[in-house]
Amino acid sequence: MTGREKLIARLQQVMARSSADQTEVVYIGGESGLTRYANSYIHQNVYESNCRIFFRTVLGKRVGVASCNSMVLADLRKTLEDAVEIARQQPENPNFPGLPKPAKYKALDTFDEITAGFSPRDRAGAVKKVIAEARRKRFTVAGSCATSCGEIAVVNSLGVEAYQPFTSASVNMIAMSDTSSGYAAGTSRQVSDLDFRRLARVAVDKCDQSQNPRGVDPGEYEVILEPPAVAEMLEWINYVGLGSKPFVQKTSFLSGRIGKKITSDKVSLYDNALDTRSAAFPFDFEGVPKKKVAFIDKGVARGVVFDRAWAKKAGKKSTGHAITADENSEGAFAMNIFMAPGKVKREKMIGAVKRGILVTRFHYINGLIDTRNMVLTGMTRDGTFLIENGEIVGGLKNMRFTDSFMRAFKSTVAMSKETQCVDSWWSAVGCMTVPTVHLGSFKFSGKTEF
Amino acid sequence: MKEKLKECINWLRGKGVDYADCRYIRREKEALQVSDGHVDGMSHNLDVGVGIRVVANGAWGFAATANLTTAELKKTANLALKIARASAMTKQEPVVLAEQEPFVDHYKTKFKRDPFEVPAEDKIGLLVNVCDILRKSKKIKTAESSMEFYRINKLFVSTDGAEIEQEIMESGGGYAAISFDGKEAHRRSYPNSFGGDFATSGYEYIEGMNFLDHAERVREEAVALLKAAPCPDTTTTVIINGPQMALQVHESCGHPTELDRVLGTEISLAGGSFMTIEKLNKLKYGSKIVNIVADATVPGGLGSFGYDDEGVKAQRNWLVRRGKFVGYLTSRETAPVIDQRSSGAMRADGWNRLPLIRMTNINLEPGSWELDELIADTRSGIFFDINKSWSIDDKRLNFQFGGECAWEIKNGKLGRMYKNPTYTGITPEFWNSCDAICNKKHWHVWGIPNCGKGEPMQTAHVAHGVAPARFRNVKVGVSK
Repeated sequence: MTGREKLIARLQQVMARSSADQTEVVYIGGESGLTRYANSYIHQNVYESNCRIFFRTVLGKRVGVASCNSMVLADLRKTLEDAVEIARQQPENPNFPGLPKPAKYKALDTFDEITAGFSPRDRAGAVKKVIAEARRKRFTVAGSCATSCGEIAVVNSLGVEAYQPFTSASVNMIAMSDTSSGYAAGTSRQVSDLDFRRLARVAVDKCDQSQNPRGVDPGEYEVILEPPAVAEMLEWINYVGLGSKPFVQKTSFLSGRIGKKITSDKVSLYDNALDTRSAAFPFDFEGVPKKKVAFIDKGVARGVVFDRAWAKKAGKKSTGHAITADENSEGAFAMNIFMAPGKVKREKMIGAVKRGILVTRFHYINGLIDTRNMVLTGMTRDGTFLIENGEIVGGLKNMRFTDSFMRAFKSTVAMSKETQCVDSWWSAVGCMTVPTVHLGSFKFSGKTEF
Repeated sequence: MKEKLKECINWLRGKGVDYADCRYIRREKEALQVSDGHVDGMSHNLDVGVGIRVVANGAWGFAATANLTTAELKKTANLALKIARASAMTKQEPVVLAEQEPFVDHYKTKFKRDPFEVPAEDKIGLLVNVCDILRKSKKIKTAESSMEFYRINKLFVSTDGAEIEQEIMESGGGYAAISFDGKEAHRRSYPNSFGGDFATSGYEYIEGMNFLDHAERVREEAVALLKAAPCPDTTTTVIINGPQMALQVHESCGHPTELDRVLGTEISLAGGSFMTIEKLNKLKYGSKIVNIVADATVPGGLGSFGYDDEGVKAQRNWLVRRGKFVGYLTSRETAPVIDQRSSGAMRADGWNRLPLIRMTNINLEPGSWELDELIADTRSGIFFDINKSWSIDDKRLNFQFGGECAWEIKNGKLGRMYKNPTYTGITPEFWNSCDAICNKKHWHVWGIPNCGKGEPMQTAHVAHGVAPARFRNVKVGVSK
């Protein structure tokens, strides 16, 4: 960790030599460790110390971006020169709105000393607890435990100075028998929030309860979707529907539907990076303060997230959701999504199902089939159960669903009181804080052999 | 740098490690994106660092740093050693590596025109011109075009005595038009979706794709999709065109033959495989015309290299021969489980990532059909083009893939266009229904620059040599 004063001073020192009209420097750096285990032993155990420094230079309305991963002064100056040269080579981009002006940021506590100091030995110790819980039932277990600490800084020649240190910790686990598997996971800014033994018991219990699964025919079912399942759907919904680019390009399910009712009024979906129940963060990669953005409010479509360039294209204002400058063409991205909870306890939700399916999580969802109708397909995984007369009666073989998010969530029966913060599965960026969801109708289109 | 790495290796040797290797990687990337005629992004990225892999006390440790001073490298080597010792806390069996000749060699991608030396105005000019053609219809709301280039310098040194230098050049690009009529939106791409087509090559690969020659067709097909009929929900014959076949091979043969998945070490993220060890040399994976190889030696393939990231020479190996499952993608650690030596498939997404078993060029060998003859030979069916969506279960059995568009085949001729087409199946049933594959003339190695695997997530650049192929009794049209 470099620290605020030293880091900002270094970035400003380099920026001062820029010949561009406007210059922005973004630093993302830190240390991360990840311990991966399978077949109940650690098979991969990695550490990385790295940084990335992005220079965005502006000549009139011409923009150049260059980045490097070295804090050596000569390397930084060379990268800055590259960015200026790239800007020089380009035609003007009338959509470029210029760099942002200084702003105030909400004070957020996103750093935890214990997490920053969590060693490979500490992670191995946590994994041993998980393995021990699985052994009680003679199950094997696979998963990962990761901790990291880092700092992000944004400075620009208009006076923006933003700095935030952060830590993160996460664990996931799959307990496995010969015929079944069960999943549990947790994530937080503080490793002490992760109860490794309790999570392992959840995975082990799911594995135990779903042994010798039976098959049911595809069709329309009532479902209970647990938080990892809901989050995996939202991950794709976010990618193809909640950002500025798909909204402006009209491929988003929200394009042309703002103000219209698109789901049950029990559904409220928003992004709030200032809420510490999520992986909170005060500003984006342009140094714009994060704002709360409603996507769906009580079933009514409300909006999407924007960065400055895409906001200009759409005649809107930035919501503070810019990604790094090398990916600017992809538009803004929501990283702290919340689905509003309800008032019912999870157990009571299951009790209200006459005949339905409980899904722990999904695998390999894809949301590109028909993005205007937000059609998703994916497989269930690691704990799929049949519910009859309000009780879980046994495990089910995995099934494929293919359904429209809007159609399925029009049938929302209830949201649970409890929520869980779930890591992104594949993008390694952001998290989703969501309840368990009870849907009256969900379409399963196929099944598999296990 | 080589001397610094050798110093690290010697230091680790002195600490009594079972094995160690150091990889220095310098990766330079240039990316250009044009949207609606404006340059939305042009960037240059440089990424340099060293990753150190150690086996000590019979277990693995890995540490990586971007700080290349001798002191920092030694500190990182020491950390890798400590991490290996922490891993040993849960060890069951000690790590055993297959024997490997320690090569001392140099490899370089053959290319004609260095893309980093091509003037920016030439690249931007081509991308803008393409967008101009795509936008000539009012129904096209967005036109996008892009190029990416990579120059990767690698240096590998190991306690076995290997010293390997490699310089890999990659080039690729493509474009897409998005049509919108106030209600529906459809995308049509060239030459492939998700960024186009890529190869280990120079700028001549971009020139060879003849971007401008296809832009009018792409535009008109994107517009036509707005009025196309939905793909029918039925069971029928399908002919799958090259880019979609590449995805089919990738998901249903490439991933399930990765031996680390089979042994359970990828379960926590992307799952396992139905192609388990007892099925090797027994499973009838496909029909007798289905022959699939892993070939890291194909000239220009995006999965081509001289040596993998644990110093194993590039190879060509059978995965499926005359329909029978006969081989895996392996590493030095996994190959001994099936009494073999590594197939040379360990690849890392940079200096800061641990090598994993990854696809190289996984190729479906060509058959004997002309595409016109194959369509003429099909009484009724659907012709699928270019991938749009993909989903498969965690053992790689039940899949559902979608295309950008499809055409009805009626009495041996292509008929009306279908929108949002999908097909679904169970992997071995599907491949056993393959009754025709087009010939070498239609065979192309498609570069896929976005294959995800591992924790932390790694993106691999892989490829698939394929030709259009026909499959019988396939369920199509599940989209809602």
